[in-house]
Amino acid sequence: MEAEVLLNKLMHLKRYETPDASRMVRNKQNIMRGVRQAQANQRQPLLDRLENSMPWFFAEPRYGIAALFIAFFGLQYAGINARQSATSTGIYTSSPHVASIDRQAASVETNRYPNLPGNYRLFADPEGDASVVPAGFEYKK
Amino acid sequence: MAGDLQIDPDEGPEKNIEDSQEEMPEVLEGPSDDELVLKAQQGDVHAFDELVERYHSKIYGLTYNMTSNREDAEDLTQEVFVKAFEALPRFKGKSSFYTWIYRIAVNKTINYRKKRNRKRALSLDQFDQEIKTDDVYHDLTSKGSPLRNISLSELQKKLNEALQNLSEKHRTVVVMHDMQGIPHEEIAKMVGASVGTIRSRLFYARRQMQSELSEFIK
Repeated sequence: MEAEVLLNKLMHLKRYETPDASRMVRNKQNIMRGVRQAQANQRQPLLDRLENSMPWFFAEPRYGIAALFIAFFGLQYAGINARQSATSTGIYTSSPHVASIDRQAASVETNRYPNLPGNYRLFADPEGDASVVPAGFEYKK
Repeated sequence: MAGDLQIDPDEGPEKNIEDSQEEMPEVLEGPSDDELVLKAQQGDVHAFDELVERYHSKIYGLTYNMTSNREDAEDLTQEVFVKAFEALPRFKGKSSFYTWIYRIAVNKTINYRKKRNRKRALSLDQFDQEIKTDDVYHDLTSKGSPLRNISLSELQKKLNEALQNLSEKHRTVVVMHDMQGIPHEEIAKMVGASVGTIRSRLFYARRQMQSELSEFIK
C-alpha cells in the first residue's frame, strides 16, 4: 500500500509539468489557421475559388478584362487556323522524287498496268498488252 | 488473480489526492458548449475558437502525457481540433462536446503512435515552480522519503519512461484518471469500454508502473 501511495504522489507531481505559454499561444494560432483552411476547403463558392486561384484578376479588373480579351482573340485566331487547316491537310515534302498530289493525280492512268520495276508484280497482266481490266469484270478465255 | 481484481485502487489514504484531481469541465461563463457547437456547425469560426480556448489545455495534457513528447503533443492537439471542426457537421450531440473531442484525441494519439511504431525520445515540459509549494513535493523530498536523494529532473524522466512502457490502453486510463482526474464513468464513455474494464486496466497499469519504478518505490 505504501508503494501505491508513493506512486500516486509521483503522478500528482506530474501535473506540474506545464507547457511553455508562448508555444501554447502559437499552437492555438496554428489550430485556428488549420480550421479556417478546413472551412475554406469545405465549401467554397465558384467565384471564391476563382478569386483564390487568380487574385490578380480581381485585384486589377481592367488587366483582367484585357487578359480576357487577349484570350478570346487567341481562341478565335486558333479556331480560324483550325478551320483552314482542316481543308488543307496534306503531306508536305520537298523531295523531288515525290510528285505533288495534284500532279500525281493528273499523271496517273488507271486503265493501264502501272510502270513498275521488274521485281514488283501486282497481278498477272491479263491481256498481255499492258491494259488493265476494270474491277468486277470477269474475264473468260 | 480474481482476488486482485477486487481491490479497488481508489480506496486507501491516496483517495484524498485523487479527489482533489477530479476535474470535470468546470462551469464556464458565457455561452454553453452546446450553443457554441451549434454556432460552429453553422460556420461561426469564432464560436469554435472559444471551444479551442476551453479545451486546448486538456487535450494538450492528454496528448502530452500519452506521448511524453511536447512536439508530438502540439502536432496532435492541432490535428485533433482540425479533425473535430471537420467532423462537427456530423456531431449529433448524443454525448457532450467534451466527451466527443476526448474520444477523437484518444483515437488520434493511439493511431499516431501505431504509425510511428517506435518510441520517440522524451521531450518534456518544465516543472512549474509552484511544485515547490506543494505538500506532496515536500513529503517526497523530506527526510526519510525514499525519493529524497533523487533530482526532480531524474524523477521526471523515470516517471515518463515508466508511463511510456505501458500499453496504449493502460496508459490511456492512467493519464485520463490519475493525471487528468476524469472519473471512471466518463473514461468508459470516451474509450467505449465498461466501467469495470476501466477499473481493471487502471489497476494493472498502476501495478506495472510500481514495478517499473521499483527502484524508487519500495
